[in-house]
Amino acid sequence: MTGPASPLQALVRRQRRQQADALRIACAAAAAVSLAAVGLLGLSGWFLAAAALSGAAGPAAVLGFNYVFPSAGIRFLAIARTAARYGERVAGHQAALSALAEIRPALFAGLAAGDPARTLALSSGEASGRLVQDVDAIETLFVRRSAPWAAGASVAAAVVLLTLASPWATGIFLAGFAAQLWLGAWLGRRVSSVPGAAVLAASAALKDSFQSVAAAAPELRCYGLQDRLVDMLMDRAAALGEARRAAWSAEGVAGLPQACLTGLTVALVLAVTAAQPLPLAVLAALAASVAMEGGAGFARMFDRDGAMRAASLRLDEVLRPAPQAAVAPALSGARIGLRQGAAEVTLAAGDRLALTGRSGTGKTRLLEALVGLRAAPPGQIRIDGVPLETLPTGAARALFALAPQDAGMISGTVRENLHLADPAADDAALWAALEDACLAGKIRTLPQGLDSWIGEGGARLSGGERRRLGLARACLRPAPWLLLDEPTEGLDAATETAVVAALAARLARTGQGAIIVSHRPAPLSLCATALDLDAAPQLVCTDG
Amino acid sequence: MTKRPATPEAALLSRSARRAGPWPGLAASADALPAIGFAFCLTQALAPAAGEARMALPWLIGVAAFAALRGLLAWLALRLAAARAHVIKAELRRCVLLALFGARAGAAGLVGAETTAVVDDIEALDGYFVRFAPARSAAALAPMLVLAAAAIASPIGAGLLLATLIPFVLLMIVAGGAAAGAARRQLDALSRLSGLFADRVRALPLILAFQAEAAETRRVAQAAREVGSRTLSVLRIAFISSAGLEFFAALSVALVAVYAGFSLLGLLPFKVPESPDFARLFFVLALAPEFYTPLRRLAAAYHEKQLGEAAAARLAARLALPQAPAAPRLRFAEPPELSFESATAGFADDPDLRIGPFDLHVPKGGIAALMGPSGAGKTTLLRLLVGESSLAAGDVTLGGHSLGATGSFADAIAWAGQAPVLLPGSIAENIALAQPEATADEIAAVASQAGLGDMLRRRPGGLQARLDERGSGLSGGERRRIGLARALLKPARLLVLDEPTANLDAAAEAEMIDLLRRAARGRTVLLATHSAAVAAMADQVVRL
Repeated sequence: MTGPASPLQALVRRQRRQQADALRIACAAAAAVSLAAVGLLGLSGWFLAAAALSGAAGPAAVLGFNYVFPSAGIRFLAIARTAARYGERVAGHQAALSALAEIRPALFAGLAAGDPARTLALSSGEASGRLVQDVDAIETLFVRRSAPWAAGASVAAAVVLLTLASPWATGIFLAGFAAQLWLGAWLGRRVSSVPGAAVLAASAALKDSFQSVAAAAPELRCYGLQDRLVDMLMDRAAALGEARRAAWSAEGVAGLPQACLTGLTVALVLAVTAAQPLPLAVLAALAASVAMEGGAGFARMFDRDGAMRAASLRLDEVLRPAPQAAVAPALSGARIGLRQGAAEVTLAAGDRLALTGRSGTGKTRLLEALVGLRAAPPGQIRIDGVPLETLPTGAARALFALAPQDAGMISGTVRENLHLADPAADDAALWAALEDACLAGKIRTLPQGLDSWIGEGGARLSGGERRRLGLARACLRPAPWLLLDEPTEGLDAATETAVVAALAARLARTGQGAIIVSHRPAPLSLCATALDLDAAPQLVCTDG
Repeated sequence: MTKRPATPEAALLSRSARRAGPWPGLAASADALPAIGFAFCLTQALAPAAGEARMALPWLIGVAAFAALRGLLAWLALRLAAARAHVIKAELRRCVLLALFGARAGAAGLVGAETTAVVDDIEALDGYFVRFAPARSAAALAPMLVLAAAAIASPIGAGLLLATLIPFVLLMIVAGGAAAGAARRQLDALSRLSGLFADRVRALPLILAFQAEAAETRRVAQAAREVGSRTLSVLRIAFISSAGLEFFAALSVALVAVYAGFSLLGLLPFKVPESPDFARLFFVLALAPEFYTPLRRLAAAYHEKQLGEAAAARLAARLALPQAPAAPRLRFAEPPELSFESATAGFADDPDLRIGPFDLHVPKGGIAALMGPSGAGKTTLLRLLVGESSLAAGDVTLGGHSLGATGSFADAIAWAGQAPVLLPGSIAENIALAQPEATADEIAAVASQAGLGDMLRRRPGGLQARLDERGSGLSGGERRRIGLARALLKPARLLVLDEPTANLDAAAEAEMIDLLRRAARGRTVLLATHSAAVAAMADQVVRL
């Protein structure tokens, strides 16, 4: 490959160097498996034929026949093949797993340093699942590293054995083998990739259709449309099914010319060894047959090349480092200016702002821009008098502690989630934050307290508990500004009152400022200033 | 094999396998026949009957033809299996869709998870039924075919093949039982660890917001290394079975070769009841690798088996969702009274979250509007009426009927939502979904009442114009009018409107309100809205 290595290629290359020993062992073992496989069948055939000739020639010939060497060779090859196969698998996977153990964190660090807009897009389950699959696909880059060596060893073994019989046989075999590889690569590029793309497109279309129908569930019930819509969705699904069948068929078709080539090569090898002694002819026929079959397996690997390339491209895309502006000045967050259309506010340290407006007016997006999870809209945000869009993304992150609307959690314990905000916080600080969020009582009842596992993405907590844990986490972070997105949504009135009172006390004690997004009067009562995004007409989404 | 208790996924898979019928398995097993033919022709070419020349053309053609036939058969078997899998998937998908749409309120999960079930989980069965299931049948049948062919040539040679199979199967039972059980438990633990990477990618925005990327990268690195070393120790055991396969495959060749060689030399240390010639023994030797080929293919399909079983477990859970009882027939001659009496909506997936208690009395023919910020529960209360949300406490009555008793008022409700569902078909057909027996005149009348007149005049074909399910070419307002026309067509006396003017500009909203006011005549109306203008048409407004 020419040109500068992409970030992913650089990572993979470095790991290949580090795992060079294990990879070498895997390659050598794979080659040994092939040598033993070709040799075993070839030698067995030769032994059989030679034994037949000696047996037919009479007792004297039998006495002169050296059977010790071939029969020992056969037993040796059988054991060598087994041991080499085991060695290949263990060494190959050891290299792949060790490399992946280094590549995963490097990828993660690369992602974290990348453009936050891309990162945000990855937070959907679908996108992150795709990424994980792509990373797993990288594993095959290491595991299949030994395949060319295996194929090469088959060829070498077959060439040696065939040359014993006839140079013509060698030539025929090499031509057949080369044709098989060329055909495999060509089919992999042309035939196999097209139905794969059709499957992806049909599957996405079915998902879209299903989601639009699922969103209209009450209508389905009122008009008794379930059966009709199931029929409609089944029509869509039929397209996906057809695409799948075409993909399977393409895969099968790819095997057909290879089978023909194998047959043709073996038949021609037989034809040119007609005049040779029987043991050599047998040797040649069996060696060619085994080696061609091994080659077909190797050629089928080209099928996955397209998918591998696509996975690498996607990974490179997310790994591209974000363009960095000049060095960020140190920000104190003493002054924050927000402007949305006609509305404008300037906040000084310790101020509290209520951010209101209908859904879709960009309240959450504004908070995300402050934290640097998306590009700052030009001319709307100033921090310490500096327009935020002129600073590197995330330059102001240290100023803010965010309690996001979806109250996202990492899979782990209560403590791990709280430590995201302040890794140095001691238990007393953690409990104090939980008290302020009215969650301490609940956590105390859990058998493992702070070390309780809260499930994947916090699934073991209720929506309200997750929200309060998110609030506690934001409170724990020593930042001059709290950004609270719907902090009391889904809480009952009594809890809401308690949470708001605790929050008021905490803000008064710490002197932190706050920007609070809410539809509810209770949290908004904490704020002296308000910014109504409904007053910003250019942000209202109209229907096209 | 120990008999494991039948799990729901095992039941689902075996039911589906019965639907597939025996043919995909038989077609995969038939692969042994051209393999036998190939070995036979090879034998005849090398060791012709007395009086024939070696490498006679017909046998060479036979070698090439049987190899090609093998490729052809593999392709046909794949196509056949794919066709059967297509049918199985379609039937299963229909069942899953019906189960999801008919599920009792709150039983089904989030739309995202349902989409995965309908699309990805069903598709994961593809590999199971195209690759694994036929390979499993072939692993039982094809070796027996090979064995039978070998037995005709040399019963003792065949006996040697069989003798290697028995310890192999015993090894598989041990490796696949005790060791695989340990490996499975290990792998469960590992999947949690490797899930960490996926989770932290999903939670990256959160990690960035708290500037915890360095700490989390360390954690990912630590987990990745642990996964690497622990996986390898599991794989060392797992690879024993693949080495075992290799060993017994090699051993079968070696045993046959040594037996045949010594038998031809007349040096066997024991007496055997057969004295086969070279051709018969060579035939057995050529067949020996084929004896283990089906087992290799089965081993290669192990991944598909695991994916299929995991998907089947999730699908079985969907199919077992409690189904809502059929909505009872409920028609009123005049607009009914509607009362919410401390009605509280609950959610199966979040027992802490409650909407309500909610009280409201709408007199006959009255119009009530629910207002409040998004997330306050407006839509949930509307959905309560059709059994899409579940009633946790209190009751709702409609014209004297209790929701607690009937479960759903769907039959009495005409519903117009934010995104009316559309089916591929004409506009008239889409309106008539509410009332399939409606006449063309009735449809035209409600279309003009719903304000579709202008649009229909502009559009070629008018009411007969075709729509696709996305409603391509329709504006949001037009879609909503089709939904309104549909609601007007149904002779139901309770009209429910969910955000009837969301995303419409002021002029379109005013027009829509006009239409709604006329539509409300002769009906009791419950609507949810953010818009003060829409609320102004109501007799009573409830703020949540």
